Amino acid sequence: MTQEIDCRGLACPAPVLQVREILEKGSPASLIIVVDNEAAWENVTRFLEYHNFQITTERQGSDFRVTGTRNGEESIPVQESKPVAEGQHKKILIMVGTNRMGHGDDGLGSKLLINFLKTLKEMGPDLWLLVFINSGVTLAAEDSEGLPILQGLACEGVKILVCGTCLTHFNLLDKKQVGETTNMLDIVTAMQLADSVITV
Amino acid sequence: MTNETIRLTQTVKGAGCAAKLPPGDLDRALCGLNLPVDENLIVGLDRADDAGVYRISNDLALVQTIDFFPPMVDDPYWFGQIAAANALSDVYAMGGTPKTAMNVVAFPAKSMDISVLRSVIEGGLAVMREAGVVLVGGHTVEDPELKYGLSVTGFIHPDRILTKKNLHHGDRLILTKPLGTGIITTAIKAGLAGAAIMETVTRSMATLNRDSAMVMRDYPVHACTDITGFGFLGHLAEMVVDSGHGVRIQAASVPVWSEALAWAAMGLIPAGAYSNRNFRGALVEFGPGVEQRCQDVLFDPQTSGGLLISVEAEAADDLLKALITAGMADAAMVGEVLLEPKGRIIVK
Repeated sequence: MTQEIDCRGLACPAPVLQVREILEKGSPASLIIVVDNEAAWENVTRFLEYHNFQITTERQGSDFRVTGTRNGEESIPVQESKPVAEGQHKKILIMVGTNRMGHGDDGLGSKLLINFLKTLKEMGPDLWLLVFINSGVTLAAEDSEGLPILQGLACEGVKILVCGTCLTHFNLLDKKQVGETTNMLDIVTAMQLADSVITV
Repeated sequence: MTNETIRLTQTVKGAGCAAKLPPGDLDRALCGLNLPVDENLIVGLDRADDAGVYRISNDLALVQTIDFFPPMVDDPYWFGQIAAANALSDVYAMGGTPKTAMNVVAFPAKSMDISVLRSVIEGGLAVMREAGVVLVGGHTVEDPELKYGLSVTGFIHPDRILTKKNLHHGDRLILTKPLGTGIITTAIKAGLAGAAIMETVTRSMATLNRDSAMVMRDYPVHACTDITGFGFLGHLAEMVVDSGHGVRIQAASVPVWSEALAWAAMGLIPAGAYSNRNFRGALVEFGPGVEQRCQDVLFDPQTSGGLLISVEAEAADDLLKALITAGMADAAMVGEVLLEPKGRIIVK
């Protein structure tokens, strides 16, 4: 049976959070959400589309009845909400000094690195900072396959530093799309503050 | 940031400048009102700008403005700082120097400990001290939701007023702070924001526009406004409509918190962004390459956003460098002023 939730009378972001909670608990093939304002309707639509649902909307008087049906099997898993307080977790710093992982086959190496970045979120709140240097900075620039993954991590609160000298060297200063441009002093200070440093 | 037991954003419905009355509604309320006339009122309601300006003598005028809103962050002290920086911003955007301020407070005394109010005001005072502004008084009312802000008075030379509408053909547009605070504070309210981004954005919102304003005094700046509740495109629309010019914006050059883009795609967008789009969307033409989430951020209501500066093309690079040197690390050249199409914003 399709689950139906009534989000009338709720202001943003409450309707999105209710839908999020349902997707966190299970993975329904379809669900119906009723909202009573345009902002909530657009937000719920965007949230479901982001999680790979197909949307149809029916107007019922001043209400919007949104039906979401899952597209195929795959969907982006919904992360459990994380505590936001500082100080309870380890601080892991990851230095990414390359756009590929390991030696041998370059094509394989770049696939492995993308997969590595995708899997990093499994570290949970211990993952503190990502530093990109040398050819690693290409991952933070326009058209990089890694960009949406890094934006997702940034969105979960992971800090991202991108080496300014390296961006300049690769002529990517205008093309950087995620993280803060940084210098060697910041990188060294961050290494000192980190509980552990992992180099790729 | 301190770990407060109370989460202020959970106690209110709207957050920050996202709680502003939709722009169309305000126009309907004010349209056609019979306003008192005074020849010394240089900038008043009839040509709405960031602040009002009243001439006292040939070389001195008063700049006056007020801003207050419900909390957009959980910590009372930071909320006080942000509200104060936001209220002072209008004076800086006009090219003035703020001098005195009065607290404007609504406080839920029945449900909130009075120490919260003390922290809020302490935060406000810290920013006033930084700005060289003295607190001369205030007014507090009992209200179900906490709200705080300032009524600010500053000085300006009547010939050096920077309004929104004086765009010149060929001018370059510079924005001094990244966009996305409305979306990010929505994520904070939702409990989804990590500590790092929360701290970065909170610091940005609590940063005065004073240094940017001081830097731009030495350059041929024609017009300026600060980006707040109506969003980047909403405030830009005001500049464009009043000046009779058009503008072209390079979406990829506009400084944006990347987290805001990610959360926009997930639908964590404050209702104010949609009101801004519905009110000004007709003036804006988006190129095919401008993603939906980027459009959302461009309409996102900002709390204590940066200055949007229209400067002569030849001086634009130097001004940008000077702003970055003065600490506005994310400042960027975002577009230029065109003769045609008049009254339109083209976003590529």
